[in-house]
Amino acid sequence: MLELKHVSLDYHSSKGTFDHGVHHVLNDVSFKLYENETLGIIGRNGVGKTTSLRIMADILAPTRGDIITRRGATASLLTLGLGFRPDLSGRDNAMLSAVLQGASEREAIGFLEEIKDFSELGDSFEEPVKTYSSGMRSRLGFTTALMTHVDILLIDEVLSVGDAQFKAKAEQAMKERICGEQTVVFVSHSDSQVQNLCDRVIWLDKGSIAAQGDPETVIAQYRESIRTQTRANKKRLADVSTDLKA
Amino acid sequence: MTVSQYFRLINIHARMLLKVDANTFKLGFLWWFLEPLMWVGVFYVVFNLILDSRKGGDFMVFLTCGKFAFIWFSKTVIQASGSIVASKGLVGKINIPKSVWPMSAIQESLYRQSSVYLLLFVILAFFGIYPDITWLWLVPVLFVMYLMIVAVGLAGAYLVCVVRDFQKFITLGMTFLLFTSGIFWDVRDVGSEEKTQFLLAINPLAFMLDAHRQILMHDTAPAALHLLLIGVGASILIGLMLLLMRRYNHYLALKVIT
Repeated sequence: MLELKHVSLDYHSSKGTFDHGVHHVLNDVSFKLYENETLGIIGRNGVGKTTSLRIMADILAPTRGDIITRRGATASLLTLGLGFRPDLSGRDNAMLSAVLQGASEREAIGFLEEIKDFSELGDSFEEPVKTYSSGMRSRLGFTTALMTHVDILLIDEVLSVGDAQFKAKAEQAMKERICGEQTVVFVSHSDSQVQNLCDRVIWLDKGSIAAQGDPETVIAQYRESIRTQTRANKKRLADVSTDLKA
Repeated sequence: MTVSQYFRLINIHARMLLKVDANTFKLGFLWWFLEPLMWVGVFYVVFNLILDSRKGGDFMVFLTCGKFAFIWFSKTVIQASGSIVASKGLVGKINIPKSVWPMSAIQESLYRQSSVYLLLFVILAFFGIYPDITWLWLVPVLFVMYLMIVAVGLAGAYLVCVVRDFQKFITLGMTFLLFTSGIFWDVRDVGSEEKTQFLLAINPLAFMLDAHRQILMHDTAPAALHLLLIGVGASILIGLMLLLMRRYNHYLALKVIT
């Protein structure tokens, strides 16, 4: 469906930071995405997960390497709060989100009642988004994102927020999409979600692939690396504390 | 994205921007009229009361015609220039042509400006100036103004994406144009005909503002060839900017996100 071949992405940051002012976000990343599979991407914050999704969604282009996509395949990045305007109502924001994702005006109007029902916003749907709590925003964001229909769904932690009740509903809705004939790339910090939903997992670390394979094995390797890092940090902290006392 | 989807998106986005504009302020859409009316009030206070220039109604109309048209150009270009960087969140989440952002801002401004021009006609009527057959020349003049705004707006949006400092340059540039485009002084009253033609030739905006006054105040058609040249030049710049934005679509996204 889609293949990344030796993809790297750099950008110029402030001088004196990173590698002489060049931030290597992704470094020689290669993997394939097969039709109908759900591929998970895990890793700590800032390792390049969102950048990988953006490259797959054709929002960014790699500095080096190639992206090969099956002819005619469409991809869409699902992420919360697709550019909500605080002074517009939930209804108007939902309308705008739908149109931005390719729906015609008539289709978008047709989706609106469905979005209002699923998001459980009630009368708040007609109120400006600036009056919403973060939970309400995430409910609106998730529901509008759910309306997209593309060949490749790229999900960036949309199931990570919201209250417990809505989270369960959202997971179920996403599961129905994922378990169908949908090709999905799923980024999440939740081990249980990744294990339940993904066929294969990639662990990204500092812009490169540290491991890939079956979810249980890769997640175990990832967790072990976090434990090792945490122990190393604790030791370093203890050494610094000892030096200060001395 | 098809051409019809592109224009549909711009139109809907522009209508939403109008709603945001109306919802943000207590007086809402009334500001579309209040802001230009306040300028007219300021002109009256400064030129008739403080300076006591006794220039009369003609000078008020002179100022109003130039200023209302200038506001359309300057405000729209500034808004369009900052539109891509202002939409950082969306740019990083969805792949649509980057020209959608400035074009939506320009379209929103066009809707607002149509009410400003209606106000202008009301003000002209108040000063005893009524429509004439030559006013039909306003159609090509406004169309060429629109092309100029699109051309400069797209160029500004591209430049600001690449180097943010251009936002400052553009704002300063608009201030420079405010004083040099013959809004507060008559470009035809600078001492010599050669100087007038030179000023009109090097500053297309001065020509456009003068064209407004020629049509509305003097029932005279503007120089058609000059108008056509500006229109063609603007169209070429629009084509170039659209090509550049398409070619460097990912680069612009990277510059905005990082």
